[in-house]
Amino acid sequence: MRHVIFRVEKERYGLPLAAVKEVVVPPERFTRVPRAPAAVTGVMNLRGRVVTVVELRQLLGLPDGPTPSGRVVLLERGRRDLGLLVTDVDGIEAVERVSAAPGKAVPAVRGVARLKGVAVTVLDPEGLDSAVVGLFTAAQQK
Amino acid sequence: MTMDMSRYLGLFLTEASEHLEGLGRDLVQLEREGAPAVVDSMFRHAHSVKGMASSMGFESIAVVAHRVEDLVDAIRQDPAKLERSLVDLLLSATDVMLAQVRAVSESKPPDDASSLLGQLAEKVSAVTGRTPGATRVINQAKASPPAAPAPVTAAARVSPQAVEAPPPPASEPAAEARVAAVVPPSEEGAAKTAKRWAVRLRIAPTCQTPGVRAFLVHKRLTGLGTLHGLQPPLEDLKAGRIPEGNIQVELETAEGEEAIRKALRNVAEVELVSLKPAVVAPPPAPVPAASGLVPAEAPRASNSADATARTVRVRTELLDYFLDTVGELLLATARLRELGKVLPENSRPPIEEGVYRLHTLVKDLHDKVMSARMTPLSLITDRLPRAARDIARRREREVDLVITGAEIELDRAILDELADPLLHLLRNCIDHGLESPEDRVAAGKGARGRVLVSVRRARDRVVVEMEDDGRGMNAAKLKTAAVARGALSAEAAARMTDREAFMLACLPGVSTAQDVSEISGRGVGMDAVKRVVENVGGTLEIESELGRGTRFTLRLPLTVAVVHLLLVAVGDEVFGLPIAKVVGAMEADSERLDRSREMPLLPHGQGLLPVYGLDELTGVQAPPRKGVRPFVVMEGDAGRVALAVDGLVGQEEAVLKPLSRPLDLLPGLSGVTILGSGRPVFILDVPRLLSA
Repeated sequence: MRHVIFRVEKERYGLPLAAVKEVVVPPERFTRVPRAPAAVTGVMNLRGRVVTVVELRQLLGLPDGPTPSGRVVLLERGRRDLGLLVTDVDGIEAVERVSAAPGKAVPAVRGVARLKGVAVTVLDPEGLDSAVVGLFTAAQQK
Repeated sequence: MTMDMSRYLGLFLTEASEHLEGLGRDLVQLEREGAPAVVDSMFRHAHSVKGMASSMGFESIAVVAHRVEDLVDAIRQDPAKLERSLVDLLLSATDVMLAQVRAVSESKPPDDASSLLGQLAEKVSAVTGRTPGATRVINQAKASPPAAPAPVTAAARVSPQAVEAPPPPASEPAAEARVAAVVPPSEEGAAKTAKRWAVRLRIAPTCQTPGVRAFLVHKRLTGLGTLHGLQPPLEDLKAGRIPEGNIQVELETAEGEEAIRKALRNVAEVELVSLKPAVVAPPPAPVPAASGLVPAEAPRASNSADATARTVRVRTELLDYFLDTVGELLLATARLRELGKVLPENSRPPIEEGVYRLHTLVKDLHDKVMSARMTPLSLITDRLPRAARDIARRREREVDLVITGAEIELDRAILDELADPLLHLLRNCIDHGLESPEDRVAAGKGARGRVLVSVRRARDRVVVEMEDDGRGMNAAKLKTAAVARGALSAEAAARMTDREAFMLACLPGVSTAQDVSEISGRGVGMDAVKRVVENVGGTLEIESELGRGTRFTLRLPLTVAVVHLLLVAVGDEVFGLPIAKVVGAMEADSERLDRSREMPLLPHGQGLLPVYGLDELTGVQAPPRKGVRPFVVMEGDAGRVALAVDGLVGQEEAVLKPLSRPLDLLPGLSGVTILGSGRPVFILDVPRLLSA
């Protein structure tokens, strides 16, 4: 299956092409979202739509830290307007064999694959989606 | 499923749900008015659902529909058999079928309906005195088009008169004509003129040489007449590229049905799925739901031919997209005009003319998109009679629900938001408002309560009123409840007018209902109603008179709310506050404010207002500020509050956009808008920010 390959700092990630709507350059500044969880960078105006942009690091349970932001990967999730802040997008590659990811299982991660000799963490769009919703619901209950 | 039905699933879901909703409405109307004309319509609905379900291979739905049809038929034979328990049973059967339809359209197995089937069967024998026979509708499914009366075993039909009593063709919903040709072959006679036949074939999945088989079939058919619209095309057929082995074609031939069947009979590994006379007019293939457009059908009530095919169904997402895009076009046009201004004088006119023309076109488009989004209120009020009946039944109330003006139109986005609030108000009216029949008689009223829903246009607003003739609301009790909850001081309560006091019912947790029913009275709900109405840019008023009844008035904007905002700055961020809720703004030195239990207090008018920092409320970081700063005074749920801000940015009229996932999960936001500068700005719901 063809995947969009992108980087968050040095690590490579892949999302199925069908799950990505487009890749855009982030705006100079994001509008902060009141009471949003820390992983939410903010919202941006994309051709009249308000898109929520989230940092991938925290969705994957990585320690906090700013992502040097180069691109926003917009997800194709029906009516949801959701984007992931990433360092850069490398391109589109076919990812065939996905094996189990090491470490703690998180719903957003489907597994790892080897692509031209380097490791790529393959993400699960559904899992990402529920991770985001989980993040927001948890923030509300706090 | 024998055929590739998945593409028809969307259509099945829409149509079957519509028939089922229609059935529910008819049932409620029948019970209320006993109008025999409704019975025919009910029969048609049940019948259509049965046909569709069995042609899709959903036997469990078809069986329930069949039983319902039996019962409706029994009522048709003898209206005296209509009684409450029968209506109850039919309504719950309708609900079960709706749930099943939804389940199968999500590719889940439908819920088990065996207990319902048992009840239905029992009822059938009770009302007709016969045992319902085993229903096997599925057997005919492959061959029979959905619209054709599904053949049934003699025993399955309960009354002999009904055996060949399909709904009269004239009133057959147009939708069915689209799904398949309706004329049974036998009636077509043996006329030897060329006729079109829709032929569906399937090559066995195990077939090793599908291309050869398909070509053979093609040859046989061309021997009979001319082929039209071969799917897949011949090249693909020969190459064996046949998705799931399905082949469709229309055959124009003077030969009869038997001759076609015969010609196809001995091609091995090929099954004749269906053979029907084709509709000559536009091809009947339903558009896959995914494309967003589904051919619409003629309004069911009026079946005049000129009403057909004038409308299309459009997914609401698509309408939203149109609106977003048109809004963006308007913005882009304005930018072009700005850019034109820096051009040298002599080259300006042609550009300006072009921009002017563009602007006119876009504006016109915007108007059209807005009007395409207008939807009659009946879309949501149609559900109320059924709900009223259910609530009344559960609470042992008698109620007449009268709805007027439901044809008035509102923007779809507002309408979608209103469905739940209206339902809640209705519950409130019946559950709290109306007394039990005995109490009503004792109070000198008729035993049947009355709830009136009226919709009217008032200039640029739509006014929806819902009133009951029940016991009315008790202002004193509401005040007591609010004071007990700590939402109001006793002094403030004493000063409050009755009209203000009724609005206390909208405070979370305040309810005067003596018993907390599952329906309403838990004090949640009215606050949600008020919130939704205000979020779409409307207002809610409550009037009530003890012993006479209560009236809820919703004043709503016609289209997606243009809200007037006061823009305030907090640190680097800008937020919008609805001006309708802003009392005023003032400046004061925050360090010199008096405090009570650490809460700073701002002198305002005669009193003191609690002060909240908007930075803390929103969680936005702002550098600490000393000295004089602006404060915005706003109406909160429980009196006025003052918000400390860093600056007043200005006022703006903004188009409110609803919050999409996941933003709608956050408390304290009532929407978002995009400023002229292109910057998104959140509109704050201050009462919720304060309470959450």
